[in-house]
Amino acid sequence: MTRRVGTQAVLLGAGVGAYAYGVSQLRRSLIGLHGLLASANAWFTIAFVILLIGFALELRRPHPRSWLLIAFLIALIVAIHATVPILYGTPEYAWVYKHIGVAQALGRYGRITDSSSIYQEWPPLFAAVAALSALGHVNTLAFAAWAPLAFELADAVLLLAIFRSLSTDRRVAYTAVLLFEGLVSWVGQDYLSPQAFAYMLWLGVVLALVRWLRAPEPPHEPASPLARLRAPLLWGLAAPPPTTRRLRTAAVIIVAAVYLAIVATHQLTPYPALASVGVLTVLDLLRPRWLVLLLGAIALAYLAPRYNLIAHNFGGLFSGGNPIENASGSAGTYHAGAEALTAWIVRALAATMWLTSIASIFGRRRRLGTVLVPAALAFTPFVLLVFQRYGGEAVYRVYLFSAPWCAWLIARGLADLGALRHRWWLGLIVCAAALGAGLQGLYGPVAVNSFTPTELTASRWLYSHIPRGALIILPDENFPVLETANDEAYDLQVMPADPQIGETWLDEGNLPEIEAWVGDLGHTTAYIPVSGSMAAYAAYFGAPAAYSEFVSSIRDAAGWTVVYRSADTLIYRFDLDRASVVSAPRPTATVPARMVRARAPSPSRR
Amino acid sequence: MNSSSSRTALTARVGLVAAVASVVLILWAPWHWLALLGALLFACVPAGAAVMCWIDAGESEAQAALTLITSVTVFALASAIMIWTSAWHPRLLCALLIPIAVSCTARLWCPGRI
Repeated sequence: MTRRVGTQAVLLGAGVGAYAYGVSQLRRSLIGLHGLLASANAWFTIAFVILLIGFALELRRPHPRSWLLIAFLIALIVAIHATVPILYGTPEYAWVYKHIGVAQALGRYGRITDSSSIYQEWPPLFAAVAALSALGHVNTLAFAAWAPLAFELADAVLLLAIFRSLSTDRRVAYTAVLLFEGLVSWVGQDYLSPQAFAYMLWLGVVLALVRWLRAPEPPHEPASPLARLRAPLLWGLAAPPPTTRRLRTAAVIIVAAVYLAIVATHQLTPYPALASVGVLTVLDLLRPRWLVLLLGAIALAYLAPRYNLIAHNFGGLFSGGNPIENASGSAGTYHAGAEALTAWIVRALAATMWLTSIASIFGRRRRLGTVLVPAALAFTPFVLLVFQRYGGEAVYRVYLFSAPWCAWLIARGLADLGALRHRWWLGLIVCAAALGAGLQGLYGPVAVNSFTPTELTASRWLYSHIPRGALIILPDENFPVLETANDEAYDLQVMPADPQIGETWLDEGNLPEIEAWVGDLGHTTAYIPVSGSMAAYAAYFGAPAAYSEFVSSIRDAAGWTVVYRSADTLIYRFDLDRASVVSAPRPTATVPARMVRARAPSPSRR
Repeated sequence: MNSSSSRTALTARVGLVAAVASVVLILWAPWHWLALLGALLFACVPAGAAVMCWIDAGESEAQAALTLITSVTVFALASAIMIWTSAWHPRLLCALLIPIAVSCTARLWCPGRI
C-alpha cells in the first residue's frame, strides 16, 4: 500500500515535471492549423498520460486520498489551461479584448457611459474586473489571459462539492470533475466573459439547492394523482441532508443574491438556470416551491427595462422556433481540412457524452431517484434550443449547461460496472478519450484564437496614434481590438466578406470594390491592420476567401501606406483622395445601407 | 466541539486571516502582482467567510465552495453598485473588511450558528 501511495506521488511529480519541460520546448512558430497537439513534443503529451494514470491509480485504492486526488486535478487543470497563456502571454480569442475594453472603460469613467450598450447594462463582471485591476494596480490585459484557468479551478471546486452531495462514493465525484474538465475544455466558455462568470455563479446556486433546499423524502404512499405520477421517478431517492428552518431561510437569501448577480451579469444564463430550477420544482425535489417564482421575478424585474437591448441583439428572448436550426451551430463555417477534423472530433465527443449519459440513466431505470437530480439538470438545457437561436451558438450553451451533470452520470455509470474485472482500465480510457478529444477541440484552433504580444502591441499602437473618430477596418474580425472601451470614439468596421459573422458580398480580392466600399463609409482615411492571426483565421475557416489576395494587392497600391510594421502585423493607412477608387468603376450591385455598417459583434461570441 | 462547529470556526479564522492579508497586500505590497493577489484573495474569501462562518454546509468541500461563491457575488455586486451609482472608488471596497472582521470575530467569540 505504501509503495502504491509513493508511486502516485512520484507520478504527480513526474507529470508536473514533464509538463513544465514540455511547455518550455513548445514553439509558437511550429503550431500549424491542426493545432497544438499535432505540433507538441512528446513530453507535453506524456505529462497528461502520467497525470491521468496517477489519478486513476489513486482512485483504485480502497480509500483514495482526497489531497492527492485534488493535487492531480489541479495539475491537470493547470496543464490544460495554462499552456496557451504561457506560450503566448496574451488573452486568447479576439472577442475577449472587447470585454477587456468594457472593463477598462468602466474603470476609467466610473459609470455607465452608454445605456444602449448591452455590455454596460449587464456590468457586474466588468465592474469586478475593473475593481480587481484598480486594487491590484495592474492593467486588465496583464491578467485576462489567466481567466480560463481561474474559472476552471473555481468551477472544479464548486462541482466537487456538488458531486459529493449527489453521491457518497468519492470516486464518482472526483472522476466526474475530471471528466467535466475534459468534456468542456473545447467549448471555450471560460475566457474572461460575463457568461463564464454567470456559469460559475450558477454552479453555486446548484450547490446551495442540493445542500440545503432539497425536498423531504416523499411519502411511501403518494396521496395526490400528480404524486403517484411522479413516484416511479423518485424510487431510490436519497434522503436530503439535515437542515433547519433558519438554515433554509439563509439558503434562500443566498440563492436569491447569487441569482441576482447572474441576472445582472449575463443576458441569457438566467433562463436555462430558471428552467432547471423549474424542472426540479415540478419533480418535487425542491423546497420552497415558490423559489422558482422568486427567481423568475428577479429575472423579469431586471430584464423589463432593458428588453429592447435584448430584442436588438438577440431578436428577443424567444427568437428561436426552429430547434433543428438552433442546434446546428454557427452558420457559414468552412468545414474543411483542419477545421473539419477538429469540428468532427468535438461533435463526436458531444454525441458520445449525451448517449453515454442516457445509457447511464437507463442502467438505473429501476432506481431512477438516484440519478434524477443530475438527469434533470443534464437535459433541461435543451429547452434553450426551442426558444433561443443565440446567433447560432445556442447548442454550445446547451452543451455547457449539460456537461457537468452528464459527467456525473457517466462517472456514476462507470462506478456501477463494479462487477467488471477491468472497470479500472475502462474508466481510465473514458477519461483519456474525453480529455484527448476536448484538448484537440481546445488546442486545434490555437493558431487562430491566440495573438502574439506583437499583435497586441500593434493594436495598442493603433488606439494611441490614430485620431479619435477615425475609421478602423478589419479584413477579418480576428484582431485584438479594444474598441468597445470607446465605441463612440472610433468607427470600427469588419469587411462584409465572412459568412461566419453575417452576410457576405464583398470580394476582398477586388481592390477597386473594396475602395469603393470604404468610400461609402463616409471617411477620407481608414486604418487597416493585417496580421498573422488574421491570415491563420482565413486559412483555417476558408473565409474571407480572398484575404491573402487582398494583403498582396494593397502592398503597392496607390493610396495605401504602411504606418506601423512589426514581425507579424502591418497597419495600413488608406487615403481615399490618393487612391485609384476615384476613377474606378463602382460595384454594380447597390449596397443595402444595413450592410454598409458591419454587424455588431455578439457580446458573448464563442 | 463537533465537526460542524469546528468547520464554521475554521471558516471564521480563514476569513479573518484572508481579510487582514488581502488589505495588507492591496495597500502595502511592494509589487503589483502581490497587490493583484491580495485583490483576488479579497474577492474570493473574506465576504463569503463572514457569511459562512455562521452557516454550516455539512462538508468541507461545500463550505469552501459556498464561501467562494458568496464572496465573488458580494464583490461583483458591490463593484456594480459603485458603477450604477456613479460612485466609483474601488478602494472603498476595502471598507467591507470592517463588517467582515466583525462577523468573523463575533463568530469566534460567540460560537452559535444558524
